[in-house]
Amino acid sequence: MPDELGQHRAALTELLLSIADDKLMLGHRNADWTGLAPILEEDIAFSALAQDDIAHAGALFDLLADWNDDDANRLAFGRQPDEYRCAALVTLSDEFDWAVALVRQFCCDHFDQLRLARLAASSLQPLADLAARMAREEALGVGHADQWIVRLSGATAEARQRVESALRIVLPLTPGLFEEPAGVAELEACGLYPGSTDQMHGQWCEMVSNVLEHAGLPATLPPRSGEAGGRRGRHPAEFPGLLDEMCEVYRSEPQAQW
Amino acid sequence: MGLSSKRTGIPTYEHPDRLSDNPEGDLRAYEVFVQTERGKPHTHCGSVDAADDAMALQFAREHYGRDQACVQVWVCPRDAMIRTDYDKDLVFRLTDQSYRFAKGYNVGAKWREFRAQRDYEDYRKEDIKEHF
Amino acid sequence: MSVSAGDNIKLDWERQEDPQRLAAFEARIDAGELVEADDWMPQNYRVGMLRMAEHHANSEIVGALPEGEWITRAPSLKRKLALIAKVQDEVGHGQMLYRVSQDLGKPRDAMLRDLCTGRTKYHNVFNYPAPTWADVAMIQWLVDGAAIMNQKSLADGSYGPYVRTMRRINMEEAFHFKSGEDMVLTLMSGTPRQRRDTQAAFDRWWMPCLMFFGPPDKDSTKTSPFMTWRIKTLTNDTLRQRFVDRFAPAAIDLGLEIKTKQRDASGAIVSDDLVPDELIVHDEASGHYGFTQPDWDEFNRVIRGNGPLNRERVGLRRFSYEQGAWVRRAVLGQTCGLPLAN
Repeated sequence: MPDELGQHRAALTELLLSIADDKLMLGHRNADWTGLAPILEEDIAFSALAQDDIAHAGALFDLLADWNDDDANRLAFGRQPDEYRCAALVTLSDEFDWAVALVRQFCCDHFDQLRLARLAASSLQPLADLAARMAREEALGVGHADQWIVRLSGATAEARQRVESALRIVLPLTPGLFEEPAGVAELEACGLYPGSTDQMHGQWCEMVSNVLEHAGLPATLPPRSGEAGGRRGRHPAEFPGLLDEMCEVYRSEPQAQW
Repeated sequence: MGLSSKRTGIPTYEHPDRLSDNPEGDLRAYEVFVQTERGKPHTHCGSVDAADDAMALQFAREHYGRDQACVQVWVCPRDAMIRTDYDKDLVFRLTDQSYRFAKGYNVGAKWREFRAQRDYEDYRKEDIKEHF
Repeated sequence: MSVSAGDNIKLDWERQEDPQRLAAFEARIDAGELVEADDWMPQNYRVGMLRMAEHHANSEIVGALPEGEWITRAPSLKRKLALIAKVQDEVGHGQMLYRVSQDLGKPRDAMLRDLCTGRTKYHNVFNYPAPTWADVAMIQWLVDGAAIMNQKSLADGSYGPYVRTMRRINMEEAFHFKSGEDMVLTLMSGTPRQRRDTQAAFDRWWMPCLMFFGPPDKDSTKTSPFMTWRIKTLTNDTLRQRFVDRFAPAAIDLGLEIKTKQRDASGAIVSDDLVPDELIVHDEASGHYGFTQPDWDEFNRVIRGNGPLNRERVGLRRFSYEQGAWVRRAVLGQTCGLPLAN
């Protein structure tokens, strides 16, 4: 980590871990659809977006590993559950319901786009450059989700109901995305992470409502919450099980090359 | 541990040889063209099935625009493409078309003949000058 | 209506084709010209080609399942990304091959329904389980190696759309195969347990790979219309021998032992226990490796639906088809007037 960041090291690590963990887990969930999605062509597209998320997580883990003399794969697969900083929504199981997977991606990708835009304005140039590159790819995910939400809600009554019930499952978990990583205020103050969570939440509500209104699916978006959750390492009861599966092979011989 | 929950708990089907709902039919076929570099021609690389143009473009870019460097993707509904028929339509003429190709003109031989003729004329002039 | 559109697409060797057109068609094939979707073709050529492309597409789609199981458990970021990309490629291959088949006259939906209900088959090899990460490595190296061998020969076929698809698929398979080779090498240079798992996975996949190329040639194979029309270009036994010649020395080089089922003096299989295959010897005279034939009774059991995982594979495929039906119903015939995204 560059010397001048010494005092912000902990806060920056918390922030980047929250982004990387969100992306790793969302990509992990979405990639499980590869080979099982409703239309072959969409299977390919959805899988491509899952790869983008995991590749972004990898780039951030690489950066953190470099700064903290750590290993990207250890960061991805070798931590205890309470050391992960992801929000509950990204690990939500979709139960083979593609509407839930889609709405989950819709909410998370809009959020990630805003987070990456803030990071792309960072005073730390290498980080800003990386975020700007990722933001361009993130836009593909946002476009994909928006298009499907509008398409499905304007189609059959059945599809519309599916999307509506997915919104009922997903939206209550969105405040967890906006839980602030520890020390984010100091990063905002010094220009490493310009902007604020409130501002970002406002923008997110506006973007998401616009699409939902366009789709004829008016929804009340939940306000921010002060509850401590994923960003503090407090995860849903299912989370350790998810990690057990994801890390099964890695943990079997953590020192081995794979 | 083990398999993801998506891949376990698959129902046991009472009638494994028949489905309860009706056949669905297919989406519309679109042809896909990609350009690998600016300035290069767009080339046909395959097709996708989609409900409409926007979906076709989205499918095409993820399917055919991802496994190679690619700067642009075109899609076109197959039924919008007007084409000739292999058997019925003659495309290239059958009679001698050599007049419209460079190779139909053997200028090398002509040059040789031309130079030989010129040299002969020069020689003849010299010869006449010397002897008369 | 439960009858699939596939039911009236049948081979019929009694059928009389127009002799002039048939002669012109066969002359074109002899000259090495490719046939295109809108060309005239004998009905049996169309049906044979459709069956082959459909079976191939089915195999890609079902082939995505054994490895897909491991996406959630891949042990490094790079392996996870590569595995997702690889399974995604398989879905892409399935899509392209279904497109080729659709243009030969069978709707994709009918093909997916026939696959889900067991009316059509896919490669036997995907009915075997992949219980460890080493199996993922072995599938990518050995099974994909076999697939490339087969598909390279199919790229010399006579049907243009299929040949072009094979060329594209073979380019992508090269990545799968290299990535598999990389994994096998990593595991075989790894811990004792990794090496043990890799040998065990090799034992599980060697014989299914020998069966991959289909039953031994009958005398008629070389003169079958599918060979003369170049729907197939090499016989099962030729391809199998090529596979052994390529992979037996590589396996030996890696320190893997090639095994076969235990047999008695008459050659009859006496147990499913594996013993070293004594026939794996390089014959200087012929330039080929010897090998013991796989258990063809097992092959027949699996092809009849009684393999280790036939029911699970088809069941998951069907479940996914059913779970996604509402999405397809929603978009089918839809023109939702969305603006083109830029």
